[in-house]
This record gives sequence, structure tokens and C-alpha cells, in this order.
Amino acid sequence: MATTATMTTTAATTTPNYVKVGAFKSIDLMTVAAAREVSDGDIVFAGTGLPMVAIMLAQLNKSPNAVCIYEAGSVDGRPISLPTSVGDARCSFKAAIASGLADVFGQLQRGVVDLAFLGGAEVDKYGNVNTTGMGKYGLVPDKRLTGGGGNSDINGLARKTVFIMPQEKRRFKERVDFITSPGWRIPKWPTGEMVPKQEVYNKAFRGGPTAVISNMGVFRFDENGEMYLDTYHPEATPEMVKAHCSFDLNISRVSGETELPTYEELDLLYNTIDPEGIFLP
Amino acid sequence: MGKPQKLGLKDAIGLINDGDMLTFSGFTIWRRPMAAIYELIRQKKKDLHLVEVNGGTHSDLLIGTGCVKIWESCWIGHELYGKIGANLGRKAEAGEVIIEDYSHVQVLARMQAGAMGLPYMPTYASMGTDMLNPEYDHLGKLGLRDGSNPKIPKKKYEIVDDPFYGSQLLHIPACNPDWCIAHVQMVGEEGTVRVEGQQYSDSEAIKAADKVIVIAEQVVTEDFVRREPTRNLVAGHQIDYIVELPWAAHPTGCYGIYETDGDFIRNFYSTTRSQEGLDNWVAEWITGVNDFDEYLKKVGVEKLEILRANPALGYSTKVKRGTR
Repeated sequence: MATTATMTTTAATTTPNYVKVGAFKSIDLMTVAAAREVSDGDIVFAGTGLPMVAIMLAQLNKSPNAVCIYEAGSVDGRPISLPTSVGDARCSFKAAIASGLADVFGQLQRGVVDLAFLGGAEVDKYGNVNTTGMGKYGLVPDKRLTGGGGNSDINGLARKTVFIMPQEKRRFKERVDFITSPGWRIPKWPTGEMVPKQEVYNKAFRGGPTAVISNMGVFRFDENGEMYLDTYHPEATPEMVKAHCSFDLNISRVSGETELPTYEELDLLYNTIDPEGIFLP
Repeated sequence: MGKPQKLGLKDAIGLINDGDMLTFSGFTIWRRPMAAIYELIRQKKKDLHLVEVNGGTHSDLLIGTGCVKIWESCWIGHELYGKIGANLGRKAEAGEVIIEDYSHVQVLARMQAGAMGLPYMPTYASMGTDMLNPEYDHLGKLGLRDGSNPKIPKKKYEIVDDPFYGSQLLHIPACNPDWCIAHVQMVGEEGTVRVEGQQYSDSEAIKAADKVIVIAEQVVTEDFVRREPTRNLVAGHQIDYIVELPWAAHPTGCYGIYETDGDFIRNFYSTTRSQEGLDNWVAEWITGVNDFDEYLKKVGVEKLEILRANPALGYSTKVKRGTR
């Protein structure tokens, strides 16, 4: 992405130079909020789209030692041009390794991955995510979506997962139509009884979804694995966010407004990471 | 097994029978054997059974044209250039194709077991999801797990106790497709395969399959690929047929050689949402041309030159990808 020298300079900035409300887009705030979930040194497994932009921003800004793994087989690439998907030739530019799925998913199963960055179409209050189908599923589904890809594997076996998704009442539901990616309470087969994730994953239990970032707020999960609103974005209120969920969202633990993006972050997003307008149109 | 036979594309695809189980090289919209897909459609193959680690433009097209009976996989779409696999969607929502859902790691596990000659592979991946919901074991529901087709396992998966360290996990049945059709950058004339860039699940897909057709950008002397054996993926004795056909992954990308043709895929996605739209697209790009050479002429040299990768980077810098 850049030389170590540039990263140090950026990281050395002292007082945050926040952009005024109205001078940035909601997609900017979502990406910046996601990047702030990365701790320096994290091993991050990122999916296609905004997750890629977020991990690159984190690496250029506060977390220069974060390592990014893409599921198609690149480990710790230093792309100078934004990949459009994880299979992109750009992913392995200056990578430590260009291998394949068996290697990187093996690392995931081994417990190497600290943080997963993923997207989804629907989420429920336990952080179960659907990317498979809307409505009734079965032999003849109502509406087929892409399917899970590696989403369910990555989220299931990473220590923490951050989901980035648009906020709509029909997407934040009591129960998703199809559990593609496992949250904190999941079905134990063959009966399908809903139990805490620990009971299903046994020794492979490492964590689960820790944040959902939408265009209205940042959500986290409590001791019971239930979603609550942590921060709300400018121009939203906790009540407005609650009105955009079809389950009874807990807004009793709100910590305040989401931290705004800085000019430095927007500069990195638009001039360094995505100057072509691929994921930030 | 012996040395692989060099064939033209038409003859190689002619070896595939209706009802055969197929898998492919590549990942979503990268290094897919598109010319082979066009030829399968031209030859009107029927009832194909696809098992793939993930789908993409290639399988969406093959399913849309009615060549596929069963699709076992985890994802289909066109990445940035088309949100969903709309042809699979249309066929599935009409009950015209059977979907069997697994996750990425689970399908990979099927290929890994198949490649190693084992009956199944244990994994912790994607437990507690609806991929394992017995209601969605579609092959089981349809009575296709009765053992009459040796390629279809008697169970979709099994949850078992780990006898050694005391845990519980999944056993995922092996898969040995009849065919793997792999598009690669280079192959030696005795079949040694070289793949550049990310290798996706090519090694597992190739080794799991009973027969392998390798379509290469370049066939080179065996001596050339053997100078650096550490760069090679599979030895020639695991390859059955070689087809030399440059650009044969278009419109998907091929690391180091050419970029994904995003405009082409976007156009495919937006014009093939309906069956009529797809039929028109097929009439223009597949049945409307005699072979892949004619297809490439139709795409045009000017476009191909834009897609050609910069060798220093592995991708093209001349493609407009975003809005700026």
C-alpha cells in the first residue's frame, strides 16, 4: 500500500481534524468506523467490497502492522491498486504468499484469524447473517441471493467479526430467513434447537460477531449475544435507528455519537485507496 | 494414465457426456474456462451436475442455458459487475435446477478428500448454519441419495464425536467429479501445469477429478516448465487432455495475462436477467459464432489490448473499473 515512512507520518497526526457533518457521505463514515475496529497487529480476513477498503485504510492509518488475508489465497499483500474482488490479480501484489483456499482457510481453522470483515443482506438480533435467500427457502426458493461463499466459514472461526451492511427495517430482523453465517445463538443440528454458539463449536469456539456497522449506527452484542446500539451516526437518533429495525433494538446502552471521519482519512480513501471510484463511487 | 493427449476444444468437450459431474478451475470471475463453457452450450449438453467451490459468470451462463440439473456450491455472482447469479436465481425460482448449499470450506473439503482418495474430510467450518438444515438437503429430499448414483454421497454430512481429543465436528463426503476443466497460464507438452498468482482451489479440483482437460494460454516445451519445478502445480500424469487456446478465460481474468472484462460481464448481467435476454445473448455470442476464434474477433483486438496485463504488475492499468 505504501512505504513504512508514509504510514508513520500519518499515524503521528495528533489532534483529529474532523470533517464537518454534511461534507462526507454515509459510506465514508461506515468505512472509517469499520477501519477503527482493527487493532494494530491484527490478522484480518476481509471479504470483497467495503471490507477491503476498510482494512486498507486501517493499514495506512492506525494499524500499519495489521495483516490482511484474502480467501482466494493471498496473504499480506501490499496492493497499490484496489482489488475489485478477492480473486483479483491485485490482491497478491507484493504478497508474502500467493497460495490457495486450502492454505488460508487452513490458517483460519487453525485459529490464526483475529478479525473478519464481512458483508450481508440480512442480520438478526443474535448476529446471524443471511446471504442465501429472501423469503421461503427450499427446493424452489422465493428469492435466491448469492449464497454464503466463505462468509460463514470466516465468521464462524475468527475471534471477532465486523459486518458492514445497509440499515433497513426489512434487513434487521428478529430471525433471518436463512442462517448463512453463524451469530451468537445458532441451530444445533439435527434438531435445530437454538443454542449458544459455544455449544455447537466446542473446541473451535473463538468468538463471534462483535460489531455491525450500518449507515445509521454501530451495533455491538451484550453478554447474552444480543445486539444493542452502541453509537449512532450524525443526523440519526437512537429512536430513528430503533425504528429501522424490525426487532426490539436495545438502545439503553448507547455510548454517544459515532466518531466522525477526519480529513486525513477521507484523503486516504479518495486519493490513495479508491481514486477510481470502485467501492466509493 | 500416460501422457496427455493434445486436442482441439470441440473434440475435448465432445468427450463429456450428458449427466456428467463437472468442476472447474478459478475463483468467481477469475480464470474460468469460458471457451469450454461456450462449447458445452454449443454442443447442447444436458443434465450436467456441477460441484464447485464457488460459482461465477461461467456457471450462471451454463445453468441459464438449461445444461445443468444439479448445482452444488456456495456462491454465485459476478462480483463488482453483477450482484447475483440471476440466471441461477431464475432457474431455481422456477424449480428448474436443484441447488445443494454448502460453504466454501465444505466444498473445498469435498475436493480435498477426493484429491487424497479419502471418503470424507473433517472440518469445523460453518457449523450451526442452515446449510446443514435437514430441510435443505435437497438431494436427500428428492431421493437422490439412495446410492444409485455413485457420485452422490448417501448423506450430505455427518456430525461426529472426535474420538481423539473430545470435540464434535463435521464429516463432509468426498467428491470425485467426472471432469475438471481447468484454465491455466501454462502447460508443458507432457502436461506439467503452471499456475501463476493465487491458485484458488485448482490443485484440489484437478486432483479430485477422474479426467482433466487443461486449457492453457500457452503450451510450452516440457523442458521449459521443468527448469523451475517449484513453480508448477500439478504433474502431467494427472492430466488427460491439453487444449491450447489463448484468451479462453475471457471475459474472466487470468493473472499476469489479462484483466477481467468488467464491461462485458456487466452487459451480460444486465441483458440476461430474463430467459429471452439470455437466449438473445447466446444467439449473439455463442451460437452466432462458429468457434472461439470467431468470438475473439467479435470482442475485438482493441478491447483485448486494453485487457492485456502489465507484466510488472500482473494486471492491466488501462481498464476503467469504477466511476472516476
